[in-house]
Amino acid sequence: MNIRFSIIALGMLGLAGCASDPAPVEQLRLSEQALEQAKAVGATEQVPEYKLAEDKLTRAKANMASESYRDARMRAEQAELDARLAEARVLTQKSEEQLQVLQSRVKRLRKQLEVQP
Amino acid sequence: MKRSKPMAALALVALVGLQGCASQRSESALDDATAAYQKVKDNSDVLRSAPRDVIRAGESLGRAERLAGYIGTGPDVRHYAYLSQRYSEIAAEHAKLALNQERVTKLDLDRQRLQLALREAKLASVQQQGKFIEAQISALASQQSDRGLVMTLGDVLFDTGQADLKNTASRTVLKLVQFLQLNPRRVVRIEGYTDSTGTPEDNLRLSRERAQSVGDMLVDLGVKEERIEVVGYGDQYPVEANASERGRAQNRRVEIVFSDDKGKLSPAR
Repeated sequence: MNIRFSIIALGMLGLAGCASDPAPVEQLRLSEQALEQAKAVGATEQVPEYKLAEDKLTRAKANMASESYRDARMRAEQAELDARLAEARVLTQKSEEQLQVLQSRVKRLRKQLEVQP
Repeated sequence: MKRSKPMAALALVALVGLQGCASQRSESALDDATAAYQKVKDNSDVLRSAPRDVIRAGESLGRAERLAGYIGTGPDVRHYAYLSQRYSEIAAEHAKLALNQERVTKLDLDRQRLQLALREAKLASVQQQGKFIEAQISALASQQSDRGLVMTLGDVLFDTGQADLKNTASRTVLKLVQFLQLNPRRVVRIEGYTDSTGTPEDNLRLSRERAQSVGDMLVDLGVKEERIEVVGYGDQYPVEANASERGRAQNRRVEIVFSDDKGKLSPAR
């Protein structure tokens, strides 16, 4: 009795899950935007997270076409965060390079100041 | 009834087994997400620069943990664990970026300060050098009341009857160039003189040529032409009587008359 009931409940839940997944149009837009932004700061396929984001977005679009909206949403959500992480990594990398340039310039200046009488 | 009990038990075992398999993957995803979240949630730098991402990491993790309590939610658990981990990573990255930017700002201030200090030091050393050269020039020159600072390049700098400067003159001329570079507003008049041997016309020409060759050398070494005036006076204005050899040698000379530091030259003779 108990088992039968829970099986029915589970089945209903599953059905409800399927039915309640609308097309994640907004999420796909957000993910695309995140990818664009990452690209704008200089992310390329060399950045692993960017590559992941691209692949997932492509698959999400395929899921959209086949109306697997749940998969489409999950992949698009992951793609968005992958892209955001890629963007952040690129920016950090750039700031690190900037920091290095500045450090060597400051070092050079200090050296020059030392030899000044 | 007696038969259905073992069947049910079997089914249950199978279900638990399946779930166990699935939950192993979910669990490791949850563990990773939890570890990532632990790293950022109490880090004040991260909280300061990316508070919203930390909150979302926590929310997603909570969701994943709640879902993990149900059967058949493996993919969702892993999905939210993944999102949570990404939020944590993004937050950590933003914190790193913010720290870097702070250091860049600070270093850039350092750089500006050092640059200023270096420029001042260089300026001071140029001024010092300038004083040194000025002292040397003053030692070579003398102050004449009506003509200002005058430096005499003696006869030894030229071969007899020749207008070309000897190599030994270079050092003196170099000092002159340095002095003029350090005193960019000063101008000079180069005056050539001879002794009274020879015709006045020849002497005039020779004195002018000698003065000109000193002027040319200054120009070659980078002094602007417009700062140089060249005159030949021939055998006029002797400094000694032309009667003795020594006197004549003293009269064969080139004199450099300096303007004051505002570029004002005493009038020509």
